[in-house]
Amino acid sequence: MESTQRLVQTWMGSGRDAEIDQIVTGFSGGQTSLLNIVQALGEYLTSEEDVLRTKGVQLLGTVIRRCPPDKINRQATRVLLTFFTSKLDDTETIIPALNALVSLTTLPNFISADATETMNALFKHVNMKAHVQSTRHHVFAIVDSLMARHRDALKNMGDSFLRGYITLADGEKDPRNLLLAFSIARVIAIEFDITNHVDSLFDITFCYFPITFRPPPDDPYGITAEDLKQSLRLCLSATPLIGRMAVIQFLEKLTAGNPVTKRDTLETLSICLPVYGPGVAQEFSRKLWNLLKLEILQPTDPDTEQKALDTTQVLINTIYSSEVADTGESYDVEGLAKEICEECLEVLREPEKSQAKPAIKVLGALAGTRPSVSRYTLSQAIPYLTNLFKSLDELLNRPQVLLLLGDLLEIVYKLPTSPRKDGEPEGTLLLSPFKDDILGVLLAGLKATETVGPALLGLKKLSQMKGLLEDDEFTIVVRNINDVLQSDADDEDTGEVVLDALVTISSIAPKHIEEGTLPLLFLSLPDRTPARDAHTERAKIWRTLSSLTKLCIPPSLFETLVVRLSTKLELICAPRNQTDIVDVEAASAYAHSILKALATTLDVKITSKHVDVAKYIDRLLPRLYHLFFYVASVYEPSHMVTANHRVLEVAGQIITLVVQVNPIERQQVFAKALEAAYHSGDPKALSQGIQEIPMDVKFQPFGIPSQRDLTALYSAAVIAFHNGVTTFGDPTDPQGLTKVVLDDEYTPFQRDSACSSMAALLNKHLDGQPETFLSQRKIFWDTEIADVKQPFNRRRNALEGWVWITKALVIRSHPFVEWMVNSLFEIFDDENLAWDAAKAVGRVASGEDGILTKRNHAVIRILHAQKYVIAVLPKVIDGLKSSTPPRQTVYRIALISLITSVPKQTYIGQMETLMSHLLRGLDVPDMDMRTDLINALLAIAESMEQREPITTHASSIIAAMLRSCKFSEQPTSPALRIAALRYLGILPHVVRYEVLHPHKSIVIRELGKVLDDPKRDVRKEAVDARTSWYICSPPIKETL
Amino acid sequence: MQDVPVYNANPTVFAPSKPSKSSLLSAHSLWWDEELDVKAESEDEEIKPDEIFDLIRSITDPEHPLTLEQLAVVSSPQVAVSGNFVNVEFTPTVPHCGMSAIIGLSIRVRLLRSLPNRFKVDVRVKPGSHNSENSVNKQLNDKERVAAALENDSLIDVVEKCLSTAGRRGQTP
Repeated sequence: MESTQRLVQTWMGSGRDAEIDQIVTGFSGGQTSLLNIVQALGEYLTSEEDVLRTKGVQLLGTVIRRCPPDKINRQATRVLLTFFTSKLDDTETIIPALNALVSLTTLPNFISADATETMNALFKHVNMKAHVQSTRHHVFAIVDSLMARHRDALKNMGDSFLRGYITLADGEKDPRNLLLAFSIARVIAIEFDITNHVDSLFDITFCYFPITFRPPPDDPYGITAEDLKQSLRLCLSATPLIGRMAVIQFLEKLTAGNPVTKRDTLETLSICLPVYGPGVAQEFSRKLWNLLKLEILQPTDPDTEQKALDTTQVLINTIYSSEVADTGESYDVEGLAKEICEECLEVLREPEKSQAKPAIKVLGALAGTRPSVSRYTLSQAIPYLTNLFKSLDELLNRPQVLLLLGDLLEIVYKLPTSPRKDGEPEGTLLLSPFKDDILGVLLAGLKATETVGPALLGLKKLSQMKGLLEDDEFTIVVRNINDVLQSDADDEDTGEVVLDALVTISSIAPKHIEEGTLPLLFLSLPDRTPARDAHTERAKIWRTLSSLTKLCIPPSLFETLVVRLSTKLELICAPRNQTDIVDVEAASAYAHSILKALATTLDVKITSKHVDVAKYIDRLLPRLYHLFFYVASVYEPSHMVTANHRVLEVAGQIITLVVQVNPIERQQVFAKALEAAYHSGDPKALSQGIQEIPMDVKFQPFGIPSQRDLTALYSAAVIAFHNGVTTFGDPTDPQGLTKVVLDDEYTPFQRDSACSSMAALLNKHLDGQPETFLSQRKIFWDTEIADVKQPFNRRRNALEGWVWITKALVIRSHPFVEWMVNSLFEIFDDENLAWDAAKAVGRVASGEDGILTKRNHAVIRILHAQKYVIAVLPKVIDGLKSSTPPRQTVYRIALISLITSVPKQTYIGQMETLMSHLLRGLDVPDMDMRTDLINALLAIAESMEQREPITTHASSIIAAMLRSCKFSEQPTSPALRIAALRYLGILPHVVRYEVLHPHKSIVIRELGKVLDDPKRDVRKEAVDARTSWYICSPPIKETL
Repeated sequence: MQDVPVYNANPTVFAPSKPSKSSLLSAHSLWWDEELDVKAESEDEEIKPDEIFDLIRSITDPEHPLTLEQLAVVSSPQVAVSGNFVNVEFTPTVPHCGMSAIIGLSIRVRLLRSLPNRFKVDVRVKPGSHNSENSVNKQLNDKERVAAALENDSLIDVVEKCLSTAGRRGQTP
């Protein structure tokens, strides 16, 4: 007792938490009682001094809130309630008393009778208007708590509760309180008998609609307008009793509101109408539709238009919700749906006008409502459109009519499918009565140039409709589309639409494409290369090939493609008589396009994980190798179509793609054959073909100069091997490739392919003998690269090899990387190799390059680029700081090379330091490097991260970019100018206006000069960049 | 919006022509999918009418969320270039269209910002397509009056709104 007394007295002076904690602990532990506390407080609770009374009640309230609820027994609860309610009439104690009541109402011993008493006390003593937000919040919290725990007691209070609460809630303005008030009002509206209070309840809720609240900046409470909107909507949609009053208000908001209010009203209506019921909906149907119509037929923005369409659907659904069970027979409806339908058809009388499209959307919306309405709508709309198409007066408008029909089909296609007894989707069922009619019109549309596009779109949609078209109908559709395909239409757009339709059908009914379309396409590929100047014919070949790549994705179609195209390839590259090849370059280009088509299709198939790709290691690769081997052994160099590097490259791609998807065991067998062909002079081990490779011709691709280019097809297979596949020779110097890399008697093409296979093998097989590897590399570096007595070309070749070896190690974050890169820094002083070495610092980190890929089973460690940058970037920066030109320039080159080679995430955190160095990099003489650098900077700006460094350096950036974007000043390239212009164009989105303001007029003036650039693409970027500067302006001050 | 008179509530919509191709695609290559070298400084490309049409085709009509091209207010043959003279003609959807001056102004502002200043640009309504043809033409081609119009904040807001889609150049967004 004494201690309680002391604690209370101390707290009165100090107001610290510590004392309260001690009291609560004492009370919970039984050392003191509530009586003790009240006694100790006695003098304060009755004090004449206002402050003391307030504090007294506050202390008691705080103790109640903190102590365990079960410690306060029934009797204590009762006493406390009487005490606190009695404190409500004292202006000094009402606030802590309300606060205490909030906790009191949650106690387990607080019973229903207490709830009634509490409410009555509130009604009697609390005048809401006299209190601040937090106090009012207590009142709402008390009602909310009682609503949750003692709802029945409140209900039993009847009218007195409703009247009282409505007075309490009336005029509330604070969003925090409103959130509570709305949820209380919703419960009242749903569960209480509000017959006598509908009007007042409506008044205290609807007055908040629409919510225009905008949270203040840095609002600690985090209440958004959306929270309030949702909560108010729940409240307004709680009871049908307020339906009439609400709809009248909604109508008014729709007539006069701004777009935001309109959208809010539409959304709210969509939620409320089903609750208000068919009666209310029917009563206002005409008025509502008249306003909805305006938003749809003369839309101000797509969002409002869509919401109006949604509301129309809700309206119709609500009106017809009471109709008797649907028999599925009738094609007639009465009332609003019929009227709307008729109005839309009226609009459709002018299909070329802007309202026709929205009218279709309305019809589509109707089709998405109740079954009877859908059937009626489509039975009106589709015959109307097909008749319009057939009408002679509307010949000119046929394309529009078909487009409208297509739009309607699209909407029906997208209708949510409800489960039907026969399992067919809704759209199919709805359309099947009109199928013949639609099909007839669309097929007729294919016959005229103007309508062919829209007709194809329609046919595509019709084909997609599951189960709608029968087999024989597909045959007819495909045959008709094939006619379009064959009619030598040069129109590229139509070509694309035709293909699009065919691709859709090939995924649904591949048989029809295989039998109907493919033969035609293959037939249109000539067996002989078209002449060099036959541009149209060549364009047609490309179109055919690109159609084939898109169509022949399914396994059966792909098989046909492989057979037909490899035969075609043999005819072109190895005709019976080699003198048939007139123009070897044109023939190479044709062969290249065929191979390209195969490679593209394979790539798509692998991406979609088609399993049939693997078998082409037996079916396609031997034929391909044979063709290249045969031509190389038999033909005169002047007739070797397959000797072209681009042909070899794309053939290599095919080989890589097919090999990479095969399992280790199959690859091992393939590797053996590869070795036999390339190293043991036995080409037949790998190839298979009709034309015999003569026995007397020596086959040594790594030896005989004329055959050396064939090594590209060796590398192409090697780079795709799993690391479990054993290859011959020393894995640290695989296949003696080093010689190819170094020796100047090999061409760059041959060196490149040697480098790539060397990198791929090292990457996968390094684990074997790291020590040998390291010592060998040391010797290689010292004798081939660092030794200035070596011929320059040889050193340069060696450096290139070094780059590739390092690349193979960087990607797997190998510990040797550090040493290998440090070696590069060592020759930064070298007169001849410094720049190459500097570029190499970045190049080694450029990643996969299509060779060291996951698909090719390379060993890749995650974050390898990150690790590389962390290790190397500081060295480059140090070098930049500590050196002087020209060595500094070398470091700058290294920095640019590094930044443009690695993903931006690896260095974006350091932009603060990097920015100034990089900006100076914009003056390096190498145009391509500058272009790459600007593109890298552009990517950072576009990411909208790290905007601060851009802001800090804005003026130098602007100056540098303006220098780079002009044609006449320092030498530039179109790509460089485009990059610089894009950067200038994005600046206003990245940097605050006040930073740019001083430059605005200069930039606009300078960009004005670029508008006259000799290149059209540059001018386009200049226009866009200039526009972006024209419209950048200070942010509009938000007025509240 | 309600108090503004609507001059043509239901205008005819036309199918837009295809967006013009980038000049980088060469028509006569021997190789399929040849990547053209943007780095190369090959021959110069003059500013031709279709490039100017590209600049204005996607301007939004002040009355509808449709482009001037979709409403056939502007079309490629209505743009002419000769030397340093550019002539742009446009066709209001209805002869009493009160928005013609705004449309013309939008076209003028777009070209003012996008064409090199060596060009002298004339923007006119198509002869016989508008009731007050002369006054609209005068308004649009008088430097002082255009400058004065651009001082008017609410007018420039409307123009900017029309121009906000101009960068699409016939592509759908």
